[in-house]
Amino acid sequence: MKKKLLILGMTVMLSIMLAACNSNTSETGASGESSSNYPESNIIIVAPSGAGGGWDLTARSVAKIMSETGLVEKAITVENRAGGGGAVFMAEYATKEADNDYMLMAKSPPILINNLKAEGNSPYGYKDTKPLAQLTRDYGAIVVKADSPYNNLTELLDAIKADPSSLTLAGGSAPGSMDHLVGVLPAYAYGIDPKQVKYVSYDGGGEAIAALLGGNADVIATDASAIGEYVKSGDVKVLAVSSTERLTGALEDVPTFKELGLDAEFTIWRGLFGPKNMSDEAFEYWTTKLSEMAETDEWKAELERNGWQHEYRNAEEFTAFLEEQEAVISELLKALDMHK
Amino acid sequence: MDTIKFLLDGFTVALQWHNLLFALVGVIIGTAVGVLPGIGPMSGVALLIPVTATLTSGMPTDAAAASSIILLAGVYYGAMYGGSTTSILLNTPGESSSVVTALDGYQMAQQGRAGAALSIAAIGSFIAGIVSLIGLVLLAEPLSNIALEFGPAEYFSLMLLGLAAVSGLAGKSVTKALIMTVFGLMLGTIGIDAVSGIARFTYDLPVLYGGLEFLTIAVGLFALGEVFKTILENDTDAEPIAKIKRILPTKQDLKDSAKPITRGSLLGFFIGVLPGAGATLASFFSYITEKKFSKNPDSFGKGNIAGVAGPESANNAASGGAMIPLLTLGIPGSGTTAILMGALIMYNVQPGPLLFDDHPEIAWGLIASMFIGNLVLLILNMPLVKVFAKIIQTPKKYLLPIIIAISFFGVYAVQYTTFDLYLLLACGLFGYLLSKNDYPVAPLVLALVLGPMIENNMRRALTISNGDWSIFVTKPLSLVFLIIAIAWVLIPVILKFMGRKVIVNEEE
Repeated sequence: MKKKLLILGMTVMLSIMLAACNSNTSETGASGESSSNYPESNIIIVAPSGAGGGWDLTARSVAKIMSETGLVEKAITVENRAGGGGAVFMAEYATKEADNDYMLMAKSPPILINNLKAEGNSPYGYKDTKPLAQLTRDYGAIVVKADSPYNNLTELLDAIKADPSSLTLAGGSAPGSMDHLVGVLPAYAYGIDPKQVKYVSYDGGGEAIAALLGGNADVIATDASAIGEYVKSGDVKVLAVSSTERLTGALEDVPTFKELGLDAEFTIWRGLFGPKNMSDEAFEYWTTKLSEMAETDEWKAELERNGWQHEYRNAEEFTAFLEEQEAVISELLKALDMHK
Repeated sequence: MDTIKFLLDGFTVALQWHNLLFALVGVIIGTAVGVLPGIGPMSGVALLIPVTATLTSGMPTDAAAASSIILLAGVYYGAMYGGSTTSILLNTPGESSSVVTALDGYQMAQQGRAGAALSIAAIGSFIAGIVSLIGLVLLAEPLSNIALEFGPAEYFSLMLLGLAAVSGLAGKSVTKALIMTVFGLMLGTIGIDAVSGIARFTYDLPVLYGGLEFLTIAVGLFALGEVFKTILENDTDAEPIAKIKRILPTKQDLKDSAKPITRGSLLGFFIGVLPGAGATLASFFSYITEKKFSKNPDSFGKGNIAGVAGPESANNAASGGAMIPLLTLGIPGSGTTAILMGALIMYNVQPGPLLFDDHPEIAWGLIASMFIGNLVLLILNMPLVKVFAKIIQTPKKYLLPIIIAISFFGVYAVQYTTFDLYLLLACGLFGYLLSKNDYPVAPLVLALVLGPMIENNMRRALTISNGDWSIFVTKPLSLVFLIIAIAWVLIPVILKFMGRKVIVNEEE
C-alpha cells in the first residue's frame, strides 16, 4: 500500500513538473502574432545566463518593479537561457525570435564585444536587435594593493612601458572580454602596445581580488562598484576609474582616465533589448513604459538595494551610445589583434 | 575570550523565534533541493532571494539581512545533506559534489544497506558541519590569509596531486583508468579557453563555447548508463530486490566510518577554504584518501561504507570552509557563495574585511544559526532515511522511468538547452558501453573537473613568471604538493620493481 502511495506521489509530482514545462512552451508559441492592443499575452524577459548573474538580476528587477507599480498589467516572467556567454541565445533571438514582440532580453557590453572579437564570436550583435533603453551603469577601476609601490596611474604605466614583463594585470574574465579591455585601455591611450601587457584571467572578479591581495597579481581591472569595501578597509588603492566624471562615495578621491590626460572611457552598462523586427506598437509601448519606470521611486529603491548606479538612456540615445561604444571596443580589439 | 562573547551574541540572534523558523525552512528547502537533481544549491538559493526579500521586508535592514542570510545559508548546507540521497538510491548524483558518493553508496543500496548508507551520510555530514563551524569560529582569520597565499602555482600542484591519485579510482585495470583519465582531460579542453580567449574544438557552435557541463556528463554516465544496462541486459526481474535489513548502521559500520568522517571533515574544511577548489574536489580527494588509507582497498566500489562516509563529510565540511573567504574577504569560492554574497549586498551589507566589525550580529548570527541548522538537519534526516530507503524497493519497471525523468528534468533545469539532453543520452549509452567493458567512469569525471583547473592555473603561473617553469618548485607549498604527487605515483612502482609486495596498509 505504502509503495503504491509513493509511486502515486511521484507520478503526481512528475506530471505537475511536465505540465509546468508545457504551459511555458505554449506561452512562447502563442506570443508570435502581433495585434492592435499590445500586450495581449504574458511577457518574457530573457537573461541569457544562469540564475544570479548581472543580466538575471536586471531582468528580475525590471519584472518586479513593472508589476509592483502596475505599469505593466500582464505578467512578466524571467527566463534563463545560458550558453556561450550569451552567444547561444543571441543566435536564437536574432533569427527564430526576431518577430516575437513578447520576448525581451537583458544584456550588457558583451553584446558588442562578442560580436567583434575573433574567437568565440557571436555572428549577431546589437544591430540584430532593437535597443529599448539603458537602465544602469558601472565603471571599470584600476586597482593595486595598499602596499604597492605605485601611487598613481602614471607611475604604473611608466613601469609597464619600461618593462611590460615585470607587471601582471589580472581580471575576472577571459582575454578580449570586459576586464581585459578596461585594464589595457589606459595603457593603450598612454601609447603602450596593449599586446605587451601581461594579462592573467581568473574565474570572476572575486578570484581576481584574491590574486591581488595574495600578491599573485600586481594590478587588477574590476568593476568600480565592487571595490569600495576594500578601499574602506585599507587593503587596496584605486588608481583610476573609467568614468567621465568623478564617482561619489568611497571612490570620490580617485581620478578619471580623462583627468590624467588619457583619452579613454568605458561604461559597463546594462540595458533592455527587443527583437529585431519588433512591431512599432510594441516598441512604442516598451519605450514609454521603461521611461516611466525609470522615474519611479520603486525603481530607484531597487537600484539602491542592488548597489547599481542610475543611468537612463531612451531608445534613440541608447542606440547612438551603442554605436559609439562599438567603435571604442573595435579599435581596442584591433590593437590587441583580437578583432574578427 | 572575545570570540566566545561574540558567538554568544550570535546565538541570541539565531535563537529568536523567527530566525529559528527561517533556519528550519531553509534547511528543509535545502534538503529538497539537494534530493532533486538539477535544482542545485546555486539555483535554489538564487530563486529564494526574492522570496526572502518579501518575507523580511517589514524588518529593520540589519535584522532582515541576518534573517534572510540564515535562510539562504540553510538552503546551501541543507542541499549538501540531501545531495547524497539520489546518489545512493538511484545512482543519480543530485549535485556534482555527490558524484563520488554514487560509487559505493549505490552498491551498498544494491546490497540492502541503503539505510546504513543514508544514515552514515547524514551523521557524517552533521559531524563535518560542526567541525567546519568550529574551524570557522577559531581559524577564520589565519586561514583566510593562508588561502590568499594560494596562487596559480600552488593550485596547479594541488590539482596535479589530485590527478596523480586518480589511479585510486581504478577498477581492475590501471591502464583502463588512465585511458579514461586522458579522455576526460580531452573533453575538458572543449570550449573557450579562459587564458587566451581562443575557442577550441567548438566548430563554431555557440553551444560549445562554455564547454561541456560536468553534471550532464556525470548524470549521463552514472544514472542513464545504469538504466541502459538494466534494460539492455534485460535483468529487470533477474536480480531480486535487496531487502532492507535495517535502517540504522551497525556498530561495525559506525566503527568503520569514524576515521573516514574525521579525515573527510578536516580535508573538506581546508579544501573548502581555498576559493578555487570547492566541494566537488573535496569529495573526490576524500574518496581517494580513504581508498589509500584502507586496509582493504579492493572493496571500494563494491559498497565500502568508508566510500560514503568520507566524501559526504568532506563536501559538507567544504561548504562550511567556503564561508571563510566569503565572510572575511568578500571572495566567493563557488557559484553558490557568490549568490549568497549577492543576497547580502542587496541589504547593503558588503561581505569583506569589514563585515565582522561593521555588522557583527549578521556574521555571528549566521554562524550560530549554522550550529542550530546542522542539528535540525540531523534530526530531520534520520526519520527521512526510513522513507527514502523504501524507494529502492520500487520495482524496476517503475523505477527506471522515474530515473530517466529525473535525469532529464535535472539536466534541463541546469542548462536550459536541448543540446545537453542529447549529450545526456549519448553519455548514457557511452556509460553503458564503458561499464560493460570494465572501463571505470569515475576517472573520466574527475579528469573533466580537474583538467581545465590544472591547465588554467599552470598557464596563469607561467604568465606570471614569464614562462619560467621554476615557479612550481621555488614556491614551497607548490613544491610539497609536487613531491607528494610524485611519491604517490612512483613508490608503488618502485616497490613492485624491487619485487616486494606493495604495502597498501599505510595507516599509523
